[in-house]
Amino acid sequence: MKYIVKLTLCLLLTILLVAGCDTEELHNLNINPQAVTEIDLNYLFSAAELSIASNGGSGDNRYIDWRTNIGLASTAIQQLATPGGISANGNFYRHNEETSAAPFEFTYNDQLKNISEILRQTEPGGFDEGNKVNMRNAARILRAFSFQRLTDFYGSIPYFEANRGLEGINEGKQGILFPTYDKQSVIYADLLKELDEATAAMSASNPDDGFSKADMIYEGDIDQWKRWGYSLMLRLAMRASNVAPDMANTYVTKAVAGGVFTSNEDNVWIPMDVGPSEWQDQNGISRAFYPGDGGNPSFLSKTLIDFLKGANPNDVADDDPRLMILSGGIAKWDAAAWTPITTDPLEQRGLPNGFFTSDIEAMEGGPVVLEETFSRINYLMLDDNDPYMIMNYAEVEFLLAEALERGIGTGIAGTAQTHYEAGVKAAMQMYAPYDPSLTVADEEVATYLAQYPYGVYKPALEMIGEQMWVSKFFNWWEAWSDWRRTGYPQLVAFTSDETNVTGGTIPVRLQYPATEVAANPNFNQANNNNYTSPVWWDGGTE
Amino acid sequence: MKRPLLVLLAMMACATHLWAQRQVSGTVTDQEDGSALPGVNVLVSESQEGTITDIDGKYTIEVPQNATLTFSFIGYLSREIEVGNQSVIDVRLDSDVKQLQEVVVTALGVERETKALGYSITEVDGENLTEAREINVANSLAGRVAGVNVSGVASGPAGSTRVIIRGNKSLQGNNQPLYVIDGIPMDNSGFGQAGIWGGRDEGDGMSSINPDDIASITVLKGASSAALYGARAANGVINIVTKKGSSRKGIGVELNSNFVFEQINDQREFQRAYGQGNYVASDPNDPESTRIAVAPRTQQEAYDWGTSSWGPKLGSVGESVQFDGVSRPYRDAGDNWDRYFRTGSTLTNTIALTGGSETQNFRFSFSDLRNQSIVPQSGFNRQNVSLSTNSKFGERLTFSSRVLYSHEFADNRPYLSDSPANGILAMYYIPANMNVDNYYGDPNKPGAIPPGTDENSLSIWGKIPGEEYQQANNNWHQNPWWTAYQFDNDDTRDRLLPSATLRYDITDFLWVQGRAGMDWYTRRETDLVPQGTGYQRGGSLTEGENRVREINMEWMLGFDQAFGKFNFNAFVGGNRMRRSNERIAATGNGFNVPFFEAITNTVTQNFQYGFSESGINSLFGSAEVSYNGILFLTGTARNDWFSVLNPDFNSILYPSVGGSFVFSDALNTLPDWLTFGKIRGSWAQVGNVTVDPYNTILTYSLKQPHVGIPLASFSSAGGNNGSIPNPTLQPLTSTEYEVGLDIRFFDNRLGLDLTYYDQVTTNDILRATISKASGFGSTVVNVGKLQNRGIEALLTATPVSGPLTWDVSFNFAKNENKVVSLIEGNDELIVEEPRTRTVFVKHIVGHPFGVLTGLVQKRSPDGQLVFDPNNGAPIQSDDYEIIGNSVPDWTGGINNSFTFKGFNLGALVDFKIGGDVYSGTNVRMTQAGLHQQTIQGREGQEPITVTGVAQNGKTESGDPIYEPFTKTLSPNEAQGYWSQMGNRVQDHFVYDASFAKLRQVTFGYIFPSSMLDKMPFQTLSLSFVARNLAILYKNVENIDPESSYQNGNGQGLDYFGMPKTRSYGFNLKVQF
Repeated sequence: MKYIVKLTLCLLLTILLVAGCDTEELHNLNINPQAVTEIDLNYLFSAAELSIASNGGSGDNRYIDWRTNIGLASTAIQQLATPGGISANGNFYRHNEETSAAPFEFTYNDQLKNISEILRQTEPGGFDEGNKVNMRNAARILRAFSFQRLTDFYGSIPYFEANRGLEGINEGKQGILFPTYDKQSVIYADLLKELDEATAAMSASNPDDGFSKADMIYEGDIDQWKRWGYSLMLRLAMRASNVAPDMANTYVTKAVAGGVFTSNEDNVWIPMDVGPSEWQDQNGISRAFYPGDGGNPSFLSKTLIDFLKGANPNDVADDDPRLMILSGGIAKWDAAAWTPITTDPLEQRGLPNGFFTSDIEAMEGGPVVLEETFSRINYLMLDDNDPYMIMNYAEVEFLLAEALERGIGTGIAGTAQTHYEAGVKAAMQMYAPYDPSLTVADEEVATYLAQYPYGVYKPALEMIGEQMWVSKFFNWWEAWSDWRRTGYPQLVAFTSDETNVTGGTIPVRLQYPATEVAANPNFNQANNNNYTSPVWWDGGTE
Repeated sequence: MKRPLLVLLAMMACATHLWAQRQVSGTVTDQEDGSALPGVNVLVSESQEGTITDIDGKYTIEVPQNATLTFSFIGYLSREIEVGNQSVIDVRLDSDVKQLQEVVVTALGVERETKALGYSITEVDGENLTEAREINVANSLAGRVAGVNVSGVASGPAGSTRVIIRGNKSLQGNNQPLYVIDGIPMDNSGFGQAGIWGGRDEGDGMSSINPDDIASITVLKGASSAALYGARAANGVINIVTKKGSSRKGIGVELNSNFVFEQINDQREFQRAYGQGNYVASDPNDPESTRIAVAPRTQQEAYDWGTSSWGPKLGSVGESVQFDGVSRPYRDAGDNWDRYFRTGSTLTNTIALTGGSETQNFRFSFSDLRNQSIVPQSGFNRQNVSLSTNSKFGERLTFSSRVLYSHEFADNRPYLSDSPANGILAMYYIPANMNVDNYYGDPNKPGAIPPGTDENSLSIWGKIPGEEYQQANNNWHQNPWWTAYQFDNDDTRDRLLPSATLRYDITDFLWVQGRAGMDWYTRRETDLVPQGTGYQRGGSLTEGENRVREINMEWMLGFDQAFGKFNFNAFVGGNRMRRSNERIAATGNGFNVPFFEAITNTVTQNFQYGFSESGINSLFGSAEVSYNGILFLTGTARNDWFSVLNPDFNSILYPSVGGSFVFSDALNTLPDWLTFGKIRGSWAQVGNVTVDPYNTILTYSLKQPHVGIPLASFSSAGGNNGSIPNPTLQPLTSTEYEVGLDIRFFDNRLGLDLTYYDQVTTNDILRATISKASGFGSTVVNVGKLQNRGIEALLTATPVSGPLTWDVSFNFAKNENKVVSLIEGNDELIVEEPRTRTVFVKHIVGHPFGVLTGLVQKRSPDGQLVFDPNNGAPIQSDDYEIIGNSVPDWTGGINNSFTFKGFNLGALVDFKIGGDVYSGTNVRMTQAGLHQQTIQGREGQEPITVTGVAQNGKTESGDPIYEPFTKTLSPNEAQGYWSQMGNRVQDHFVYDASFAKLRQVTFGYIFPSSMLDKMPFQTLSLSFVARNLAILYKNVENIDPESSYQNGNGQGLDYFGMPKTRSYGFNLKVQF
């Protein structure tokens, strides 16, 4: 009995001692064993690089492509067409919240989040202050790339106050939770300044600091990074050229002086993998079309097929050599196999944009099995681990040709025609990374160029615009931006859907996400919250 | 309900044995009112043989010579009577005033007299939970307790429940109460809810509990009552006391068998006049010609229009082609829900053994529950074992312990909300002319494409045999048979809830107690998306396990002494809580050997690991002084230290004071009809922390490397929508005062309990949805003020007493809730958005918690409706407007019970008045052409004419110019009108969510002892039981007004939840 009493008292005393006070042991519970307070920023950089390929970095690798690039741009810009599936939104000019919201919701939250942390921690006060200079400036180039794409979708967006949610966290202050909006004209000016500074700051003589291992694009090649920076500068300058000619002049000149892409070797690709899951690290575009699964219809548009078939649709000799690269043929495609019905170039047919199935049946005069009637994207470019194309050399050559034609900038060597022809050649020969069989010989390029003489077959600017358009297969959102700026190719808008939201015209911007309209008190773009108001560089409000 | 319980208790005492020589009989009545007392123990003192009185208080017993009879009954003083020569002995028993004093279990398991409490507390007897039962016992509280708002998620058996006491107190944190079992907190957290993109309700903690083990549930509603439990009790406490053994002769055996059927309470009233189809050009050669409704003419059309009910009138064509290429009659195919959903059932068997002496007792129970859901292949099984022991060692040392073990198996929890894998959504969409039996496909693999399907069909579907038999050209729209039979989402939970209490009475007035308890469980889950599923053709498999452990250790030192008419009672104590949650899972995608769905057969594999840990240290104390049983004053204080906060801000001390005055005992001049009267008042604060671990420090974590390159991210924001950590977070405080009146008349035949409370939550911890342009989706901040005030009333009456007794209780509560402030510089915060993405649940300063906001139809400056001149569709407003409020204004219930002889009848009606629901189901059904309203404007119906204004250009200053507009819509335009309605005019789909439901009916019979003579039992009772029998009142179309797909703070959103069910069956109870 006494023993029990003693035991009881001992037990109670023990409990008394361990409970009811503010102990070190209690504090330590809040240390996450799976996390660190400082990290090699190269790891964040790698994540940001992966992210620019359709959000691979956040494990949602197809969302933004699936929703916006494919869902709207691919069909609105008439390279693909479909009566159903996600890209029917662009095909019929319908509103879809995810299509509109995806770039806004994912770009700030993914690559820009990581990049801004890299910049914050390499600045004064950061834990890696003053180090990793090349990586830091490569991150600024990625940042400019991402912001350019984002503002091109929406026009005015949060920029200067964006991604500052963590500011002051160590001083117990609240960061900027609801950033204000900046005009696109101001954003473009700052992005060009950023590219100028970032390219200048990069140097092979700076210590590598782990950059080359982390860089999955150029493996730390500084010259290539600089060329990408200047190529982006050229893109931005030309995009603003209609409304800000002085700025365009200045930066086209700077870009050319700095050195832009010189070959397909400079093309920006993000390597992709087969897994670990279908949501992660796979090529988001491939996954979106994978039959039955992503399942989005992969029919090529009549506009694209007609362009690729050349002046005479019944003559193979005048075809664009890319016809049977982009089209894999008319084919059945299921999980088990790609079964071609015909790969004869003469038999290739594109699906008209804006048509319902019933319209197509009316056109065909009877029931239609779409798979047996229309050409589809080449399955050889849709493997899960195919690299993801970010930006290519051909675009640079086309922009230089245009700059020369329009007299923008100084110091561009060569003629508009040489740049145009170099662009066409590069564009035709850039598909080998998808599959070694997707090659175009120099002679085929030469034959093509001879058949469609520059500035003769059609006006020079139109030929440049059309070539730029076709060179951006997969980069549909960029093709959409180019078309909005140049008006080329000349597309005929059509939609059978009476409930379309544009009054039957091709959309020229995205709506802002409903969450942003509803949540951010600083949202002030109600007048531009539609699909029909052009952005600043397209002649709209600043 | 009281009487049968007493009968049972009495009958547990002894067993009859015929041994005596002569018979004595008589009637036992109440000394005061002369009413018959059934169930009184009548014992022959010498032999301990005995019987009990029947329903009329009569008894007959054989007695030996010179015997003495003992009459004993709970609540009455026992009497011993020498038999002598008497053959008739009528006995009157005096009530035992001391025993009659109501005692309830308050915070920390402390028993207090009800009249000493300065706050409102409600007890629900365990009997109320077991006759007509719910698998999740929290649902049984619906309508029973004033101010307690219970809403089950529309997710079927073993789904989770949202319980809100006195309104939502925190804007964003968990607003649900703390669950405590025998003094030890239980983890009620769930493993996931359906959200905007779908998902499943993975259940919560309460589904582990066997209602048969519950002696009573007390609901501690206010801050005062919960102040001692600490932070986690800020939202109130559901305090569960389990059944214990008692001293008795031999071992008592109790069997309870409950069997109920379950059926859908179908609320749909869809149009059944028009079938599958769509609008196409009337002239096949002219795409611009008038569009008319046609039924599918080709297999491709049927596949493309799989979810479109915009065809012509049924019967207008003889046959239409369906997705499988077969032509079938174009007429009403009958109710598909009857074909798909089955009659569910739940069989529960419980055996309980009790026994013990004066110093030792025990109770052991085993229970087995087998449920088949209304959804094929889905169900829930549970086994519970409990053992409770109480021991007394000598005069001063007592030891009690109990172990609850449960084994739960949930088979195929249904997917809810957004479409992927949501078979219920698919069941809603089926056009009237289609028969779901034709979706069955391969008889050996329901929902799969049968072997030998023709090439043309396979080509249209882009599929091979064995894969999902999709009926619509939408990979995210599943075949309902496929989701039921081929998906596999099972979880098994093994849960152990042991606890032990050791108490030592040091002196007569000083005691010390130690208590330790644990809640430990593992949850093993298998989540298979089968190969061949539309949206994930390769299939995937996750095998994962969570281990959750919470340990509480507590000590208390108490003092209890009377000084004359004063009584002092005080204790101090400490508690140490530690909680951890660890998850290990493996996921594989794609299968190497086709259709062999094993984790080792997956093509790509990855693992997930998660760990979190937290703790709270606490010190607390309480002191009570009372005078003469009339006046009571209590003060408490508690200090908590939280691991989840920065050590600079991790502590909070909060006090409470309360008192009560029993004026009926204090004043002599009160009239006779006033039996009891008490006023009470209290003021209290409770601190709370609604933050998960690791939310205060900025850290980074590694992610799965890509092509051999390591990747990192913020720990709090690995993907999109992460959170900004906040090192300065502090505990929130809710401050509440309440006053109340408890008054009873006419010998307790009429009673009223009234409470008014006013509560303010300050420093609330908000997970604020912020602009994604900040880089993050949310942050946790410490601002905001929320006010709740309201009244609660409980009216009890016994209008008829005697052989026929009628008891009625009526409770109601009104809570007014207002958001006083939010984060600095922001008057609005988004809480939740539904899949339609057109409506937001928001907190707006000056408005109640969680209002529904959405776009409505635009109006011109002079108030006219604005239309699109092209197609007559409504134009939406520029700004979000408040279109509803998800929280009800009034809640309550009426409970009637009748007893007559051995019969008893009970009926519970509960209601919620006010509050709105935004029905995404109705939005989608309108778009699909199934909603009744979409009949308007179709071919053969009156056309729709819209009248208002339309914009025609802008003024120079940019203002729109409106012109009068009227348009009669063609049938095709009417389709556009209805399709656009859900996108553009949200208030059209907001409904008043008020309802009154016949929640429970029981009808039972307790067999009289005379009938049981020849049978081996002591008691036998049989009841008819039913739950959720009928919706007596509602204002929402096609869905249950309580339909909700999740139990978080974003309430008021409906989107293809599981249809609610009604259940009915029998309960049999036997004692040996």
